[in-house]
Amino acid sequence: MVLQDINQALQRGDVNGVKQGVQEALDNNLEPRQILVDGLLSAMEVIGVKFKNNEVFVPEVLIAARAMNAGMELLKPKLVETGVKPIGNVVLGTVKGDLHDIGKNLVRMMFEGVGLTVFDLGVDVSAEKFVEAIQEHDPEIVGLSALLTTTMGEMKKVIQAIEDAGLRDKVRIMVGGAPVTSKFAQEIGADLYAKDAAEASFEAKKLVQ
Amino acid sequence: MKPIERVSLTLQHKEADRVPVYPLLCGISRKLVNASYPQWSTDMDVCAEAYEKVTEVYDLDVICTLIDLSVEAADFGQAMVYPENEAAHPDINNYMIKDIADFRSLEPIKLSNAPRMTGHVKLCDRLVQSKGKDVPVVAFVFGPLGILSMMRGQANMFMDMIDDPDAVKYGVAAITETLLDYIDALAATGVNAIMLDTLFASQSIMSKAMWREFEGVYVQKIADRIRENGCMVMVHNCGTGIYFDAQIETMQPTAISFLHVPDDCSSYEDVKGKYGSQITLIGHVPPPWLLSATPEEVEEECRKEIEMFKAGGGYILATGCEYPANMSFDKAKIMVDAAKRYGKY
Repeated sequence: MVLQDINQALQRGDVNGVKQGVQEALDNNLEPRQILVDGLLSAMEVIGVKFKNNEVFVPEVLIAARAMNAGMELLKPKLVETGVKPIGNVVLGTVKGDLHDIGKNLVRMMFEGVGLTVFDLGVDVSAEKFVEAIQEHDPEIVGLSALLTTTMGEMKKVIQAIEDAGLRDKVRIMVGGAPVTSKFAQEIGADLYAKDAAEASFEAKKLVQ
Repeated sequence: MKPIERVSLTLQHKEADRVPVYPLLCGISRKLVNASYPQWSTDMDVCAEAYEKVTEVYDLDVICTLIDLSVEAADFGQAMVYPENEAAHPDINNYMIKDIADFRSLEPIKLSNAPRMTGHVKLCDRLVQSKGKDVPVVAFVFGPLGILSMMRGQANMFMDMIDDPDAVKYGVAAITETLLDYIDALAATGVNAIMLDTLFASQSIMSKAMWREFEGVYVQKIADRIRENGCMVMVHNCGTGIYFDAQIETMQPTAISFLHVPDDCSSYEDVKGKYGSQITLIGHVPPPWLLSATPEEVEEECRKEIEMFKAGGGYILATGCEYPANMSFDKAKIMVDAAKRYGKY
């Protein structure tokens, strides 16, 4: 019952409802993994599907993700204690020269919603920073975002830098953003193009499983 | 035919000598006067010279005065960044609305204290004087919700809209009051139309109901004021699943500049069938695609779009959003040539 409450609260973007539910579930000695999967992630999955189907939009996704983060703050220490591991790691960022973060943040939230750990490098991220983050976090996936026609070209530079660092075979590179197309993704040597955050998380989950 | 005659007939849904064309050559025009982006954005003599030159050199049928999406927000006090080779934008580390409570401190501003908006008015005035006899001038104005997002950050504002709707509406209302004065000043220059950029009126951002509630009711007032001033209302929106129906209902525009298929249409052909007799359609060559498309592909895309939309007038070939500001002019020229070659009636 409490898991259902968490699920519903998260879908409403109700931060306090999620926090209360997670705390109650922990107090009732429910397994942290069960709270994560059946309470939080299942709700984010519903949000992801609704987002893909245009039943909810960016504002609703943002508040749902905010509620999930609030729940995760309580849950994370317990997950660590019980040895629950993420399904994979992702290094994510908006490329150099580009300050747009909504698309990238939506992707991060959706990734977290399917159980991935995301190392979010933020916006205006240089190729060198991406390389350093790959070396530090050993991700399975690198996600590059750009919203401007003027910054799309930077994606190619990042991929080249990853190749030059000898890391290309260790990661799958996913690109996205309003001006990006699958043709462009192929041209610059990316592995995957996702047209939106929901598709990105779906593909990412497939990649790591 | 002069561009103004061509466009006038087109907007009346009559067939002119050919389909009018204007790739949205805005920031890129700075190259023709050897100006940096900051110079072009802030010195309206430089900007006007650039628009005049690009119109002449590329034989454009419309002048649309898009500078950047922060013209209005800057005058409200938003800290700005003026990069050397990109459009000006807010300082994302220093949004002026830092907290949800700050919306209620936003008040309308006087145009006399608004250097970027009055600069834009000056730009329009000069372009109407220098070009307006032959080429229609369309003043570009960002919608009030978009302006507010430039002062708060989009993600924060979207969450605020759910957390405290009235606070956000307070801010939108304050901006709208200022925009009404701005519209009066722009219309007084003699511009033919004012194009409102309703950035968030599409499925890519928010629900139709939310857009109506938070921006629709305000842009309705702005559109009414534009018409009271004797100007045409135009709309620009490059989002996916754009809400044509809600925007037509609220603003009754003469034309919509678009990139993607509206939410209630299944294809571009469907757009012509459903909306082609109500409004003039402006679009929809995708600017990002131009970066990698071959010259032959660009010509073919223009030919296809012209064939799809030209019948009975009511269509202007254009990019669906601003032409890439750092690309060469080559593909813009292909677009103009394609309108002349394939757009004849």
